[in-house]
Amino acid sequence: MSAPEAMYDVAMKPKLLRSLLREYVPDEKHPFTNPSELSYVVSAVKTHKLLSERTPPEAQQDLVDAWKSAVDSWVNRLLALASSNLPDKCWAGICLLGLTSQECSSERFLTSYDAWLNKLLVHIQPSEVSHFVKASSCASLSDMFTRLDDFSNVKKDATSLATKVTQQSLKLLNEENSSVVLEEAMCLLRTLIDFFPSAVHRHYDSVEAAIVSKLISGKCSPSVLKNLGHGLSLLPKSRGDEDSWSLMMNKILIYVNSQLNDAFQGLEEETRNAKAMRALLPAGKEPPPPLGGSEASEQSSDISTRNPERLLASRISSLLQCCSDMLTTPYPVMVHVPICGLLALAGRVLLVDGSLPLSSYSFMTTLKQEFVCSEIPNMQFQSLEILTAIVKGLGSQVLPYVAEIFELLKEYLSRCKIPGLKIKAYSMLKVLLISMGIGLAIHVSQTIVSNVFVDLDFIGIEKDVKSSGTNTKGPPELSKDFHYKKRKRSKVSLQEQPAQGGLEGEMSINSTPISVKIAALEALQALLTVGGSIRSESWRGDVDKLLMTVATYACRGGSKEERKILLSGDAMPTWADFQLAALRALLASLLSPGRVRPSHLALGLQLFRRGTQATDTQLAEYCGHALLALEVLIHPRSLPLLDFNSCGDGYKALGHLRDPVYPSGDRRIPNRQHDEPESEEDDLIENWHGKDDEMEIQVTETQDNMHCADKPMDPADGLTSGADKKNEVTTSENGLDNKSIEAAHFKTKSDQSRDMLESVELESSNGKAALVANSITPESGAASVSETAGNEFSTIFERISATLSNIDRSNETTFEADDEAEDIFPDIVDGDPDSD
Amino acid sequence: MEPEIIIASSPTDAGVSCWDLRTGAEHLRYKSCASPLHGLTSIAGRFLASSQVRDAKSSTSGSILYWSWNKSQVEVRSFPAEPIRPIACNNQGTYIAGGGISGDIYFWEVATGKLLKKWHAHYRAVTCLAFNDDQSLLISGAEDGCVRVWSLFLIFDAVRREETRNLFEYSFHEHSLRVTDVKTGYGGCNAIIVSASEDRTCKVWSLSRGKLLRNVVFPAVIDAISLDPGEHVFYAGGRDGKIHIAALNAPMSQNSNNGPYVLGSLAEHSKAVTCLASSADGFLLVSGSEDGMIRVWDTRTRNIIRIFRHAKGPVNNVMVTKQPQLLNPRTSASTASSRKQALTLPPSLEKFANAPDENTHVKVLIGGQDPSNGITDSSYVSVQAMEAQIRELQQKGSAAAAEVDVERLKNDQLRSVQMIQHWKTMYDDLHQFCVDELLEDVRTERPTHQNL
Repeated sequence: MSAPEAMYDVAMKPKLLRSLLREYVPDEKHPFTNPSELSYVVSAVKTHKLLSERTPPEAQQDLVDAWKSAVDSWVNRLLALASSNLPDKCWAGICLLGLTSQECSSERFLTSYDAWLNKLLVHIQPSEVSHFVKASSCASLSDMFTRLDDFSNVKKDATSLATKVTQQSLKLLNEENSSVVLEEAMCLLRTLIDFFPSAVHRHYDSVEAAIVSKLISGKCSPSVLKNLGHGLSLLPKSRGDEDSWSLMMNKILIYVNSQLNDAFQGLEEETRNAKAMRALLPAGKEPPPPLGGSEASEQSSDISTRNPERLLASRISSLLQCCSDMLTTPYPVMVHVPICGLLALAGRVLLVDGSLPLSSYSFMTTLKQEFVCSEIPNMQFQSLEILTAIVKGLGSQVLPYVAEIFELLKEYLSRCKIPGLKIKAYSMLKVLLISMGIGLAIHVSQTIVSNVFVDLDFIGIEKDVKSSGTNTKGPPELSKDFHYKKRKRSKVSLQEQPAQGGLEGEMSINSTPISVKIAALEALQALLTVGGSIRSESWRGDVDKLLMTVATYACRGGSKEERKILLSGDAMPTWADFQLAALRALLASLLSPGRVRPSHLALGLQLFRRGTQATDTQLAEYCGHALLALEVLIHPRSLPLLDFNSCGDGYKALGHLRDPVYPSGDRRIPNRQHDEPESEEDDLIENWHGKDDEMEIQVTETQDNMHCADKPMDPADGLTSGADKKNEVTTSENGLDNKSIEAAHFKTKSDQSRDMLESVELESSNGKAALVANSITPESGAASVSETAGNEFSTIFERISATLSNIDRSNETTFEADDEAEDIFPDIVDGDPDSD
Repeated sequence: MEPEIIIASSPTDAGVSCWDLRTGAEHLRYKSCASPLHGLTSIAGRFLASSQVRDAKSSTSGSILYWSWNKSQVEVRSFPAEPIRPIACNNQGTYIAGGGISGDIYFWEVATGKLLKKWHAHYRAVTCLAFNDDQSLLISGAEDGCVRVWSLFLIFDAVRREETRNLFEYSFHEHSLRVTDVKTGYGGCNAIIVSASEDRTCKVWSLSRGKLLRNVVFPAVIDAISLDPGEHVFYAGGRDGKIHIAALNAPMSQNSNNGPYVLGSLAEHSKAVTCLASSADGFLLVSGSEDGMIRVWDTRTRNIIRIFRHAKGPVNNVMVTKQPQLLNPRTSASTASSRKQALTLPPSLEKFANAPDENTHVKVLIGGQDPSNGITDSSYVSVQAMEAQIRELQQKGSAAAAEVDVERLKNDQLRSVQMIQHWKTMYDDLHQFCVDELLEDVRTERPTHQNL
């Protein structure tokens, strides 16, 4: 094999695998010191597909055998490792076995999955000590079942295995407390629910009980709780019928409601509780069995822990999250979503503010109030999640309830002070606006606008921008500031920045965090996109002004104070994100048609243009896009239309300047005549066409000229094009396609302007060149171009024609002359002697 | 390109016929349908629905029928409170709006058949209905010449309804006679609405401003309009048998025999054109006529490329939709089994609205009709888990990681103990050996001393 192909050579793969096995995979004899070597092994195996055993059909038998034996020894080593009594080696073997089950060939998988599975099954017994071994066995088992799902021919066998594994993992779930193991056990169960629902089906109730008892035990870490909640939400899928879903949903909601009763006791009016209960359970209907069976319910009522409010809150949050998961994960059949119950619960949580009604002082210890208040934000976040999930899950069917959801959100926005929740509420607004469209936007715009105005601190920013304007911090500073932004990102200390920061910092110490501002801008952008021009007279002007101000402010870099806050956290949005959000909203405001041409168009364009200079950032990319989008606003156009009389392909007609159907370009003539207004009511379109026509006329004229020039040329046309072709062919051999084609085109054009060339065309190229040169000079004079320009043209023409004449004889000269021609070519087009 | 089908029905009991737009092959013919104008729709491609107005004598009752794609018999019959003429369905197929002859608009939820809302929209019978492009507005035209735009959000918002003076967003009164058709285009709130009327005009309205943008006068009454998808022009089918082409954005020619904005016409029909539909790419226009024929035109060449014969009587509804999966025998077997609910039609539409319930449920298919949503994206997890564990091991932070370390250390210790034992025995051996040697030496030395 040749050296450069070695990397892709199939023969290399068994060798590579063996060397991996020798060097990096631990064995029984030597101690296993560096676990990170395993990830190298994994990446090597995955990149080179070392376990695939996929040989090209022409490969020789010994290669196939070599690879097979290499994989054999790999598998044997792993199995040996997996039986090792040292936990780290055992763990390594199990992890790599998981990898093998996804990477190996189908034949190998089918013949050995049974053995591997049993090997792994041993390690998820409760007798196993190491948590890592248990966890990785679960993960590897999960992969094995994921792979097994691809083979329908072993479905039956796989299902019986899955049943066995379900029992085992259920045992793990019940007895284990380590979060590593619980997480992976849940993951395994989820895989089983997804692929082998019938295996889980048999243990439905016990799985439910196990998950719920873990969920409400209060002993799990947040990530495990999330995992458990997700698992619970998937559980009805194992039955896959309408009733299981609804039952699960109802059980959860009723449970959450009763927990809320405990948590909010004394913090809200009693009527809300009753109202929520009525929404959940119609009068006279049997309540469903308690969530997780009776055992779990006993456990839940036993709140003897040190911090019961904390426990209540974590239960409520994870169950609410489970509800949102249920609403958003696809389910095979139609289900009845208890929309009123969901809304009642979400409303109950969202409208609690932790304050005590006077009447209930006696029931409530202040300690409890403190605890509940500290947990409320978390619950409210989940409630907002539920609202989002409702909108997402119900799709258009949420329509009858949108008003209620919006009222809830409006109420909540007016109360909410916590940034994270405010962001969530704004993003929820955005979702609502986009999914519910104009119909909603018309009626809710005022609410959104007034909220956004408060959060963006319009007055503060405006003052800031204005003051800086007088401080000679005008637009020229802008571009500097973009560079400054880049410096900031590369962690240059803030002190380097001149006094600007200090001055402004005093002026506006803004209370709203940047992340909230971004969310507010996004909501405003959605509003402008959906309903920016319908019944927007009352707010549109203010919003446009606001967005222009905010964008200017953002691009100038804001105040030092704000930036400081930003640099503290990692996941926090950066100033660049704020700039981007401001510019996005600005573009929406510029594009969304209003009554008049946007007054801030020029300033906006300036911002975008400056933005493009921040090379290689998202900002520059977006500004480029914005400029493209705005270009249409500056040059309104209606593209040449498909012609109703033309029988040719539309695209061809657009592509060619010389229209075969309208050789004389007569279709533009009516256009020009149409300039007089047709009817008074059609102002919008009239304006449009007024502009269009001007543009079209210009285009038309040049085209007309060309067409006119065409006509007398007709008899020689074929010949000319023949000559052109010849030129093109000869020059393109030199790799000069573009230039030479341009030159050739140019030549045709100049040819066309003269009748006298018709016959000469056929004669020797020397003679032709002379003729072209002669003919051009008077022409350029007549075109009343300035004298020098004329001279220049004539010389260029001479050169070009000389070039053309020389083409056949010497290719080198072509090269030089063409180069020059290309440099000056644009000038020639502009000063085309034919135009006017 | 996805295959499209033409669906057509007529006021006489000729059923619903169905052809492939490109190949011309005829599919099933759905039986016993006598639809009024705008009374035929496909519910998001899942099944067919049509309102029925049989004849004058039973004008107090009408019905709405459902057909599933693979059966020619009517499957579900609903009997609304009054005869419904036009029906319209939103994109997702979740709602059906119906216009009653009393001027009421009925709004049903498809999945449950619940009558969600009914409101008095017009003084005379509703003649046509259309959803706008984001499905949040409903546009209706009526016999009284009025075109109205309704925000569905407002319709369902009890509080705001009280506050506002009018339930409608816009009410356009410029038509002097019955409105025959209304269509709307793309562009969100900047979209245009085009309405046709028996007063021989079509009017173009701006949705954002609520104003008349253009008034196009035709030589005949226009019964049907169809917007070109790119909205350069719209087509208007007239009672003179011509399909007139009117400019929206197209450059206009000042042709003396056409009125302003009228660019030309497609003419072949001998009788009135009653309905129009456009293919997705806009290159084909389908027209139905009173002579019972359906013609497919190439809009670029203005030639007829296909003619279908629906019935002896007039055709009054044509539609072009994407070919539903169930219609195609090859794919139906595989998809039908996986998505059961596609086969079973929803219950019939209710006659009366129920009182608002405190614990209403919404029947919904989570994940939507889109089969691609149903695919759970599963992934392999073991490598990820392993990486996480490696990280933990390296940080030596968690109990589990410590445990592995402990095990390893225990093992090391064991080995070391063994080693010590080993060395000890070796040492002992050596010691013994040395002692023996020494003693041996001493023993042998002593005689030599003695010898000395």
